[in-house]
Amino acid sequence: MRELELYFGPQHLGMVGNLSITLTVEGDRVVNAAMNPGYLHRGFEKLMEQRSWIKNFPMVCRMNILDPDSMEMIYAMAVEKLAGIEVPERAHYIRSIYLELARAGSHLFGLWAYSNMLGFDTVAQWAMYHRDLILDRFEELTGGRVYHIYIWPGGVRRDFPEGFEDRLVSTLHSIGGCVPDYDATFFNNRLFADRARGIGVVTREDALAMGAVGQVLRATGVDDDVRKIDPYAAYDKVPWDVHTSEDGDAYSRVWIVRNEMIESVHMIFKLLDAMPKGEVYNRIPNPFKWRIPEGETYVRCESSRGELGLYLVSDGGDKPYRAHFRTPSYTHGLTILEKALKGASISDVGNIMMSLYVVAPEIDR
Amino acid sequence: MNDSPMNGQLKKKLDSVFRDIETDVSDDGRLTIHATKESVLTVLSLLKDEGWSFLQLVSCVDWIKQDEIEIVYVLSSYVGVEDGPDAKGEPYAKGEPDAKRESILLKTRLPRSEPSVLTAIHVFANAEPYEREIHELFGVHFEGHPRLTPLFLDREYKIPPFRKDFDTEQYVKDVFDSVPPIDEES
Repeated sequence: MRELELYFGPQHLGMVGNLSITLTVEGDRVVNAAMNPGYLHRGFEKLMEQRSWIKNFPMVCRMNILDPDSMEMIYAMAVEKLAGIEVPERAHYIRSIYLELARAGSHLFGLWAYSNMLGFDTVAQWAMYHRDLILDRFEELTGGRVYHIYIWPGGVRRDFPEGFEDRLVSTLHSIGGCVPDYDATFFNNRLFADRARGIGVVTREDALAMGAVGQVLRATGVDDDVRKIDPYAAYDKVPWDVHTSEDGDAYSRVWIVRNEMIESVHMIFKLLDAMPKGEVYNRIPNPFKWRIPEGETYVRCESSRGELGLYLVSDGGDKPYRAHFRTPSYTHGLTILEKALKGASISDVGNIMMSLYVVAPEIDR
Repeated sequence: MNDSPMNGQLKKKLDSVFRDIETDVSDDGRLTIHATKESVLTVLSLLKDEGWSFLQLVSCVDWIKQDEIEIVYVLSSYVGVEDGPDAKGEPYAKGEPDAKRESILLKTRLPRSEPSVLTAIHVFANAEPYEREIHELFGVHFEGHPRLTPLFLDREYKIPPFRKDFDTEQYVKDVFDSVPPIDEES
């Protein structure tokens, strides 16, 4: 049969975000797939070299629109490590609570994108509404809805306002109360299972050979989670579970996302109970004159999509000499997706991409 | 996390196998290996066989004052991958988190005028887009890479845009200030 070239995205119903794929198809089978990122390349890492250490905070969070808070965290961790700044105990707890809330919000956004693409419009609307409830809490805490710039080197910008904890718990309860509805309508729905089972299978060998992280790796049975194996913030202070699955397909990955959301909420409750009183912020030197000693570091944390890393170099100046982010979508979207699409049906291309949880701005940076 | 004993063993092994590399363990226990352009891929393969089988990042730094470009490979390992009962057949087995989770930095320096190094995609498949990106943004050639086509950008640049001597502000002025205002156009 004759081979055709087909452009999938950036304007396409199945394509959420600015990314495109050049598919070579034979009939409705994909023979080859070539990713075309770059629609959102803003050169952030270069721009960071021209701004002082503290001025980069509003910039780094914009690298990942869906999960900006992990970006703040990773940059703060790297700066703290280079400058040797300690973080108060309470700030560690607040950071973990804040990041888990962000993870739940990001997963709800991801669920919106995935269910919307599959045609489950009702579930998509619910997920977007529930994410909005979480954004209300973020607005109350930080003043911003999407970009918060709440984590600083040395801690967090401010403590929880009065009564915030109660309102946070009641928000999470009202979202958690809808889990049975989500399960009945989406996760346990035959239509979803039929469309996702056996789709976009990434084997354990491939996942390990190609540098998979996050849900993609955990869906192959590897319980690899940076929060467990290299704990930061307060993740080693409370018990919680890493969720894995064995099949490595889209169905397993989306189920892991569901379980992680619930785990995040439970973790927030535990952290709120265990949280000590005290300072939330250690003073840093005058940010306008702040010079960080010469050195380099590589730090990592678990973003909502997997291991997020940052290679940060200082030459002893008032600005970073070089910053390079290792984002999970980079490997998932450029290396693993190209392989997973080979042999797939055209109708599953969006399904596979969304189930690998690829976010375009994170690739382009 | 203190992983000096583990890194100490590896450091010894590397020092005994290779003559043209320098190894150094920092205060917080991170192992950094400086290799020559010729030996970097061999070191990379050896590290993979030793269990550092997760390539986290390939990065690049432009050291303009030394007139050199530095390629940095950041390596780590998946938990327990190498501890399985039959490590050859079963790539992953559940194990206690161990010191190997700390990343290793492997570096090589290239001349700034014509930087070129062998591609690492035969050792690590996920090096492919990183090398494409470094080729595009820093002008480093990776010998044997099957598609060093542009990844992000659609314009040609005289100086690769992430090098230190590329003036971003001047570039913005040159490109975007030259568009005539709308009222003059008609």
